[in-house]
Amino acid sequence: MMRVRGWRKTVYHTALWLVALIFFAPIAWIILGAFKTRSGILATPPLLIFTPTLDNFIDLFSRRNIPGYFLNSFVMSLSAMVIAIVVSFMAAYAFSRFKPRITNFLMFMLLSIRMVPAVAVVVPVYLMYAAIGWKNSYIGLILFYAMFSIPFSVWILKGFLDGVSQRYDETALVNGGTRWHVLFRVVLPQVAPGLVAAFIFNLIFVWNEFLFNLILGGRDTTMIPVAFSTDLYSDGGLNWTFIAAMATAYMIPPIILVYVFQKYLLVGMTFGTVRGEV
Amino acid sequence: MQAESTERIAYAAPRTRGLMRGRAFLVRLLNDIRVFPALLLIPVLIFFILWNVIPTLWMIGLSFYKYSLMSPNERFLGLRNYNDILNDVQVWASLGRTFVWVFAGVSIQTALGFLLGLLFWGSRDMPGRRIALTMLFAPMIITPIAAGAFFQLIYEPTFGVVNWVVRQFGGNVNLLGDTNLAFGAVLFVDIWMWTPFMILITLAALGSVPKAELEAAEVDRLPWLQRFRHIILPNAKFILMLGILLRTIDSFKTLDLIYLMTRGGPGNTTDLIALLLRRQAFEALEFGWASALALILLLTAIAFTSIYLYILNLSSKRQEA
Repeated sequence: MMRVRGWRKTVYHTALWLVALIFFAPIAWIILGAFKTRSGILATPPLLIFTPTLDNFIDLFSRRNIPGYFLNSFVMSLSAMVIAIVVSFMAAYAFSRFKPRITNFLMFMLLSIRMVPAVAVVVPVYLMYAAIGWKNSYIGLILFYAMFSIPFSVWILKGFLDGVSQRYDETALVNGGTRWHVLFRVVLPQVAPGLVAAFIFNLIFVWNEFLFNLILGGRDTTMIPVAFSTDLYSDGGLNWTFIAAMATAYMIPPIILVYVFQKYLLVGMTFGTVRGEV
Repeated sequence: MQAESTERIAYAAPRTRGLMRGRAFLVRLLNDIRVFPALLLIPVLIFFILWNVIPTLWMIGLSFYKYSLMSPNERFLGLRNYNDILNDVQVWASLGRTFVWVFAGVSIQTALGFLLGLLFWGSRDMPGRRIALTMLFAPMIITPIAAGAFFQLIYEPTFGVVNWVVRQFGGNVNLLGDTNLAFGAVLFVDIWMWTPFMILITLAALGSVPKAELEAAEVDRLPWLQRFRHIILPNAKFILMLGILLRTIDSFKTLDLIYLMTRGGPGNTTDLIALLLRRQAFEALEFGWASALALILLLTAIAFTSIYLYILNLSSKRQEA
């Protein structure tokens, strides 16, 4: 571990900040762009100092479809997550405490779903949805997203549940609690951090998801990433002020979530297989 | 009125008692050691069977057929689709590009991420650390689609920043329109997005090195290179390998970013396997062929997963020891 003192410490911290700023620069650039006028964003040389305007955001949210797309993103990611977390918590508890014979097999299959290229997963589901008429339906997409979030949540929650002593369960049972009481009132609070981590990172995943929405969704169920690939063009070219404003509005929530829940970042980005903090 | 209500109670009582018995039975049943785990697993099994087992079986079946949404009649082909795929020049070219993409991307991300991770190792008391780390990790949190969209602006030949800088030196580049440059330009965005992930992994890996060993090395005044080889690397190895493997798998799956930035073009220069599969399935609507390719990718992914779990097991055994 590096031990530095005095002015060298200042240099070291400045260097760290510089690295962070370099990685953030493209995002900062687009956020700046969102507050520029149309001629400002296209100016050469690039403008660093300008009078900020909110027109792009006003234009963005006054377009007929856009507020609905944002709402779709909210509704679908939140409802898929609630379903996924409840289902996963119950499954993870069963895997952790009762260790049924299918545990290893199921845990393996669940993980491999996340490893498969999304487009390979979506081919058969597309055919199935086309057959039962679930294409472009909320229920179809929400359940699909829930399914896709379950593997990750089961993995992460099983890790946390394995860390909770069985004594808690036993004590509560001896004292006359039902198994359901133990599950939701005794064990659940113990793994709150795991629930939060699973919730946040699945939420971000669905929020950012593109391909499933493109293929299984339709006009009513479009979320913003798909809108990016279809609504960008206006006046024959790419509409840059619109792109900048939409990207900014869409990126801000995940970035805030990561700021607030930074200590779960590691567990969240590794399917819950690497534990710890940074 | 009084009589009526007494009567009602008199009628109600036995029914309530029956209900209570029913409820007690239900509580006992739900609480039963054999029933309870099964109930916990039913929802996940329903999801698993409906969204994985059935579609996968369907896909396996389809892969033996010529099944196209364009022409309604399907025809049994046996293994012809697989044979076609294995003899398809485009598939091999795509796989080759995907291999280069994964190899170049992951190795640069790993090298850069590891070095920067080492740099950030002693950052516990840096001022504004939380904000700095949020900024550092932001690229991997935003949707690849937004990243693709604004890098298009940054790469734009007429008013993009990159070409503005290049023009100051008398050059002129159209990064996404040039067959020689597009692959590198898109790969750069991928590296920008995922190097922070390897920094994160490196920090976790370095965090798993026992403090006592590091302090012992400090006392013994072990040279840095030796410390690195004998203390840091053996301890950090497993988490690093997990990170690299996760990145390899994710990189193999890349679609969003390229789809938005170039759609596989110009020419075929950025056409990775996932894009090819999407085109064959959802533009050419050749579902039989696409199912066969999807199945091949599925098996590849399962192989990757097995390696991943193998390393994961090794590392947890190590931690217990």
